[in-house]
Amino acid sequence: MVSLTSYLIVSAALLGIGVYGLSVKRNAIRILFAVEIIVNAANLNFAAFTRYMNPPQVSGQVIVFYSIAAAAMEAAVGLALILVAFRLNSTIDVRKLNKLKG
Amino acid sequence: MVSLAIPSDIAFVILTVVTITAAIMALHAKELIYGAVSLAVSFIGIAGFFALLDAPYLAMLQIAIYVGAIVVLILFTIMLVRRDQAPEIDEQTNSESPVGLWLAGLLALAISGVVALAGASLPTGEPPANLQVSDLGPVLTSQYPVPLIILALLLSASLLGALVLAKVER
Repeated sequence: MVSLTSYLIVSAALLGIGVYGLSVKRNAIRILFAVEIIVNAANLNFAAFTRYMNPPQVSGQVIVFYSIAAAAMEAAVGLALILVAFRLNSTIDVRKLNKLKG
Repeated sequence: MVSLAIPSDIAFVILTVVTITAAIMALHAKELIYGAVSLAVSFIGIAGFFALLDAPYLAMLQIAIYVGAIVVLILFTIMLVRRDQAPEIDEQTNSESPVGLWLAGLLALAISGVVALAGASLPTGEPPANLQVSDLGPVLTSQYPVPLIILALLLSASLLGALVLAKVER
């Protein structure tokens, strides 16, 4: 029988991978990958916690439902922003997108 | 029940290996396209976790939205963005400082440590699954109707915003 702790540790590992990508990568699309991985780690936590409640509750699944929809919005707007940044600067390297730097 | 417990353990281990390896590959693959494909594999692994957690609706939603919509959107964006710039950025990712790796490793270790310490007070036994997919609908529409409407408005607004942003001015 898989325990709740195992799910939480898998989720923590995914969060670590996502934070690593977020802090190290320079390509804007890779940073979007890292954000999606972090959102998935959170979703996994919600699903695991709601499954191990006694009696099992459905509200955690509702939260994951909202979270997946929010992630879809975030990806659409983020990718549109990346396209605009590429059109304006002809690069998506986030360390070169520093026109606002004083 | 014992005969059912062993396959779920094996499935958990396989899903863990697939999901975490694919997530690392998504960030480390040389080509961005391969990264997007392994991101899709990682999302399918998460869908497997949802199926293991008796949430088949979430598993279906995960595959339909993440793999079917988000990864495809990312693939289209990669095809629109990459001309000769992509290899240049891929080379730059090699000169990474190890600080990010240390930070992420420490974070994951700290959370795992807290979880392991709190493990005694966490529920251990898996309660019997008596939830159906049809239980989700009434909760969604009767208990949380306002968030659902706000979500629908937000979804259409953000997709329109994405269209306006990505539109080419002529």
